[in-house]
Formats: sequence, C-alpha cells, structure tokens
Amino acid sequence: MKTKKGFVLRSLGREYILVAEGLEAADANRLISMNESAAFLWKAVEDKEFDADTLISLLIDEYGITHEVAEKDVASLLETWEKAEIIN
Amino acid sequence: MKSIYQVAGHRFAVVMPDNHLAWNEMKPYEPFMVENDDDLVFTVEMVDMMPDTSDKQKVTVSCEAPDAARVELYEWQGQWLLEMAPLLEAPVRVSLITDKAFTKGVFRVLGSMRFSIGTVLMLMFAFSTAQKNTLLMHSSVTVKDGKAYLFLGKSGTGKSTHSQLWINNIEGCELLNDDNPVLRVEDNGVVRVYGSPWSGKTPCYRNLDYPVGAIVDLHQAKVNRIRRQTLLEAYVSLYVSYSGYRFIKEMADGLHATTEKIVGSVPCYSLDCLPNADAAWMCYNTVTQ
Repeated sequence: MKTKKGFVLRSLGREYILVAEGLEAADANRLISMNESAAFLWKAVEDKEFDADTLISLLIDEYGITHEVAEKDVASLLETWEKAEIIN
Repeated sequence: MKSIYQVAGHRFAVVMPDNHLAWNEMKPYEPFMVENDDDLVFTVEMVDMMPDTSDKQKVTVSCEAPDAARVELYEWQGQWLLEMAPLLEAPVRVSLITDKAFTKGVFRVLGSMRFSIGTVLMLMFAFSTAQKNTLLMHSSVTVKDGKAYLFLGKSGTGKSTHSQLWINNIEGCELLNDDNPVLRVEDNGVVRVYGSPWSGKTPCYRNLDYPVGAIVDLHQAKVNRIRRQTLLEAYVSLYVSYSGYRFIKEMADGLHATTEKIVGSVPCYSLDCLPNADAAWMCYNTVTQ
C-alpha cells in the first residue's frame, strides 16, 4: 500500500495534524490528528510502497516494543488510516 | 487615479480611472486611506480590456457553499487568472490576472461593481499577506474593556447575532467588525485584531485594533454550554474560518505558522448556544474571567 498524495504532516505543539493541502487531496477529509508514533510512521513511509510488516519493524526499531504489541498497534493504526482514506 | 489604503498595518494601492463610478464603492475604504505608499503588499488596477486568455489552464474551483462566491483559478502565461462569481451557479462577474505572489494584478469588472471590487481586494489582501503573520478571518468581533472577542462559525450560525446580544445586554460593548476582521501576530507575539473595509451586510468599517481576549467558535444548540478548546480543536476552528490556496506551499506554510502562534497564545472556546441573553452572559463571564 501507499500513502495518498496531497497530505502534509504539520506539528502543533506536541501534537501532529495531517492536512489535505495538495490539489490531489481537494475532496479529502481536510484535517486528521495524529499522535507522535503515528506521525513517525507516516513520515517514514510517505510516498513509498509499504505493508503492515514495514510498519511493525519501524515501531520495534524506534520504540523497542515487542513484536506482539507492535502488530496490534499497527493493525489498529491501519484501520484508522483506511477509514480516514489517507492510504490506498 | 491611485489611492493607498492601510489595513492591519499592510498598505495596498488601488488604481482606477479618474471620476469612474467605481470610486463610489470605495466609501468603506475611506477610513483606511493613507498618503504613505512605501512597502505596498499589492497593487491592483481596474482595466477595460483583458488579454485573450483562452489558452488558460484550469487549476481548481473553490466554493464553500452554494450561496458563497465561486472562485475559478487558472494558470495563464506564468500568472494566475481568477474568475469570480457571487454564487455557485452565477455567471462570472469579475476576472483578475495577478503574479503568482498576489502582489500585482489587473481586474476587469463584468457585473456588480460592489461584488467585484470587494472580492478582488479581499482576495489580494488575504493571499499577499498569508506569509506575514496575518489572517483575513470570517468572524464577528465585539470589543469590551479594551479587548476584542472573535466569534467564529459557519455562515448562518449566528456570529452577528451573538455580537448583538453582547452589545444589547452587556454594558460597554461595541462592534469592531461583523464579517471580515484581520488577525495579526505582532513581532512581540501579541495577537491583535483589526477592523477592515469588509464587514458583510453590516456597514461597520472601523480603522481600530485591539489585543484579542478570546476566540469563540459558535454552534447552534438547544442549551447554552461553553468549554475551553484543546490546541487541536482551536486549530481546526480557525482553519475553517479563513481561506487560502494551500497547494501553494509558501502560502500553506505561512497560514499554518500564523494559526499555530494564535492557538498557542489566545484562549479559544467552543460555545453551544441559543440566540438569547443568557448565552451572551455565559460566554462573557467565561471568556473574560
């Protein structure tokens, strides 16, 4: 899968917000909030081909969590991203 | 003939033929007239003829509501061409050709003079100052004890009504602007709001400015209720209350930076309200404490 084009990740204090700024994302949900780890993953895979395993490895490397925890986190994150229609 | 105006500290020039009836539409701008023509943010000139732009390339069409203005944006010979209509389905009434930074434009009026001049000047103002800590807002602003309170909300929510409720019920309140005030973050970080020549249906063109006491996003409801917004909620409330072409990176960066500074320093609230005096008092008591 891939992140959709036209989104820009912006920081707001200690939070993050994904903003549909590009013309490609004109009809999209315009503002999606993200926590620090979701923002980290988005930045890491933006404009690249990736799958759940890519995200799981990234999480384990960055936060030193177990495979089991990372797998669960990624499953719920991907569900959120799909619902928000920011990946395809 | 050329006139210079200063709004929120930004000067701009309007050039139109001498004695043209279009000058009759410039009454709201008179309180903002200045002599100094240094450091103009933009200059626009009214012309009778536009070049042939039939090879224009469509970029985007924006229209926030069926009863809001429609703006078609094209690229033409390295410049922007904008064609604007007062409603989603209405024919084009004014076209504008400007450089990509919105600093120098020519416009031709095809329909209503008032709509045309107002739209061209607001658009040039908003976009030429987007990187200058400035936001041209959609808001009604009331002043009390030297501080200004901005009321936000979609068209028809009751921003003007809420301002009137403050003015009619709370002693010492006055209206600064009813539709399009300008927020500006000063160099020292203080957020001020300025009156402007654009005030919707209410003729309230005051060249005054005040520090911002609070920003309140209104929602119609069956009960009155107010709460402080999180940073993210405040960002969203502001984000939908001004316009910009965010696909132009510099503009998006500028708007984001200004919005971030404002929500970081001004208390922002969400108010569920009825159109009654209790709503005004609840809001006033909370945001001025």
